[in-house]
Amino acid sequence: MSRDLSRLLEHPAIWRGRSAARTKTLPSGFAALDEGLPGGGWPHAGLIEILPTCFGAGELSLLLPALAAVTRRPEARWCAWVAPPLQPFGPALAARGVALERVLVVNPPKKVVKGKSSLWAFEQALRSGACDIALAWLRSALPRQIRRLHLAAERGDTLGVLFRPREAARDSSPAVLRVAVEPTAPGARVTLLKSRGGARGSIELAWH
Amino acid sequence: MEDSTAAPAPRPVPAPRSGDLLRPILGRADAARMAPAELWLAVHLAAPSPPSQQDLERLVVRAQRLTPRVSLDPPDGLLLEVKGSLHLFGGVEGLSREMAGECSRLRMPGTLAVAPTPLAALVLARAGRKAGISGSLLIITDPAQLVGRLSPLPLAMLRWPQDTLDRLARIGVRTIGEALRLPRAGFARRFGTAQLQALDRLVGRASDLRDSFEVRARFRRRRELLYELESHAGLLAVVTPLLAELGEFLEARQCGVLLLECRLQHRNVPPTRCVLRLAAPLADPQQIGALLGEKLNALVLPEPVRACELRSGALVSRLLASGGLWRAGEHGGGVDGRAPDLIERLRVRLGDEAVYGLRVVDDHRAEAACITTSTIQSGLQNDPVRNAVRRVALAFPGGRAPSPRGPARAFAACGEPMEARGSPSWRSASDQDHFAARSEVDSSRLVDRRPLWLLSTPRLLSERDGLPRRRGPLRLLGEAERIETGWWDGREIARDYYAAVDVRGARLWVFREREPPHRWFLHGVFG
Repeated sequence: MSRDLSRLLEHPAIWRGRSAARTKTLPSGFAALDEGLPGGGWPHAGLIEILPTCFGAGELSLLLPALAAVTRRPEARWCAWVAPPLQPFGPALAARGVALERVLVVNPPKKVVKGKSSLWAFEQALRSGACDIALAWLRSALPRQIRRLHLAAERGDTLGVLFRPREAARDSSPAVLRVAVEPTAPGARVTLLKSRGGARGSIELAWH
Repeated sequence: MEDSTAAPAPRPVPAPRSGDLLRPILGRADAARMAPAELWLAVHLAAPSPPSQQDLERLVVRAQRLTPRVSLDPPDGLLLEVKGSLHLFGGVEGLSREMAGECSRLRMPGTLAVAPTPLAALVLARAGRKAGISGSLLIITDPAQLVGRLSPLPLAMLRWPQDTLDRLARIGVRTIGEALRLPRAGFARRFGTAQLQALDRLVGRASDLRDSFEVRARFRRRRELLYELESHAGLLAVVTPLLAELGEFLEARQCGVLLLECRLQHRNVPPTRCVLRLAAPLADPQQIGALLGEKLNALVLPEPVRACELRSGALVSRLLASGGLWRAGEHGGGVDGRAPDLIERLRVRLGDEAVYGLRVVDDHRAEAACITTSTIQSGLQNDPVRNAVRRVALAFPGGRAPSPRGPARAFAACGEPMEARGSPSWRSASDQDHFAARSEVDSSRLVDRRPLWLLSTPRLLSERDGLPRRRGPLRLLGEAERIETGWWDGREIARDYYAAVDVRGARLWVFREREPPHRWFLHGVFG
């Protein structure tokens, strides 16, 4: 193949079939997961979906090493938590290495229409460019809303993580990466439901 | 060739002229002895009724463009010390013209006079107005001519009490010149030392120090509308000129505002208030206008609006950050100014309590160990824990924030006391190394023992065969962690905490009360 063509094919926006896309990534902190994810880690901008089988299946522990690494950088931007179902516990986050000064919790009050305002707040956090990572727990999200969130995340250079219940795996979604998480005795089992060239099958992880 | 190893002779530093630099630093007595060369411009406001405080303040703000030393001589006098500004504004004539322009722009006509002492300038201005003269006749720049020019002016211009003036008139003293020729001791005895001091200040024998007027550090402007406004659409257009004034006000003082209140007056009902609270001080009228516009759109107007008023809270001085070369995230570029913008936008729409940060407090009770704080610094600064405790706290049963310095009797399952862990009052300098080593060991255990999610109030679990149930039997993992603490503020807890796994595999943090009836509760979720 000519040199120009091969150089053109290395462009990150072009993805060929089985090969993994070359994107800038965030190491996830788990070696087995990094091998399975396209590019060797979480994408550094865009929207990804995490679908745990139940709340507390380990979906947050999956992200914590990446959160800790990102918030500890000297040029770290914010880490926004939009509409978390329970209160994040500061001492536990701090013990795992997350810098609490970079954490911003956005919890729309009940009297406002919670679903719509959570969606709006998530989009604002993604689009503003003031956050490195934004996590959101939305009850329902239509495919066109997810597409809009993905575009906002790319524009603001933010990684958006959307947590949805496992039943949402049946719906199609324009997210770049969809990950299902199931709890196991040592840790969790992660399945990549949709990815651009990532591993097939499940990856077993253990919390140490 | 010259020997260049000798150090060059130091250049002499010119001594500061007396009065230039030293005046603000020295006390009043010392400054008085220095006899600085000054030139004062007095404005005697000629309106039939004395001007209101708000008008005077407006004039002072405008006059501060010409010189920083502006003082008021109530009820209708304004004094400016202009020696330093003469060159910039083109001499005395240019300066007087500028000041006259400012007065006329504010529709407050006045007589201007210039003299080396403030009292002389005021007297000249008052006399000039009374006699109907103005212009160059009221300018004295040479101190030597001062006494001569002031002599023919009537004593009433000094505004002394009427009976003093009557007594002086009875002995035939009606002008300033005649009063100056009287013997000093007798004058002081008969007519008062205050009047003698006034004469000394008039001619420059004693100093007359005036305090510069500090404009009140609040912005408050009101605007009456020509017509009643019924809908939202015109509200922001009405408020925009007030915001422009606010912007100039803040720019002049290099301050930002944290709280802004917009009051809309109606005919019968009390005024509608719209309060905008900011997390970081803002001074740009465009940004403030955008946020205020969102709030105004959400208002419900009970009646048409007749007037609107804009009030600011306390002003905060602003340090302008220099622009960075890198964008955030690139090559070490720091956090840029977009974060406060995001927080403001979220707060304006969702409410102030909806956006907060997290802080850790040293307390063994889990519900007290993590509190929310509404001030979110955009730099990497840590709030001291004491300040954090005073701010917004998570909902406690008692509604108060805990004090972080109490001793705690908390024991791990292996029996060693946990009190050395975390409470700073127990640390001493000699134990630092020992403590540091222990804290690494302890924090790894803390990682396993503390959940990532906490319920704000623990949820009661049903029980069967002595084990808790939540959608099925829970399986307890590991040993208990006993926490007994909080006896000093009435929220005592005595609990045994366990990690448990439910039927679906999620790990939960449950506890059992040590007091009868030994109920089981769910307090947190791992993962």
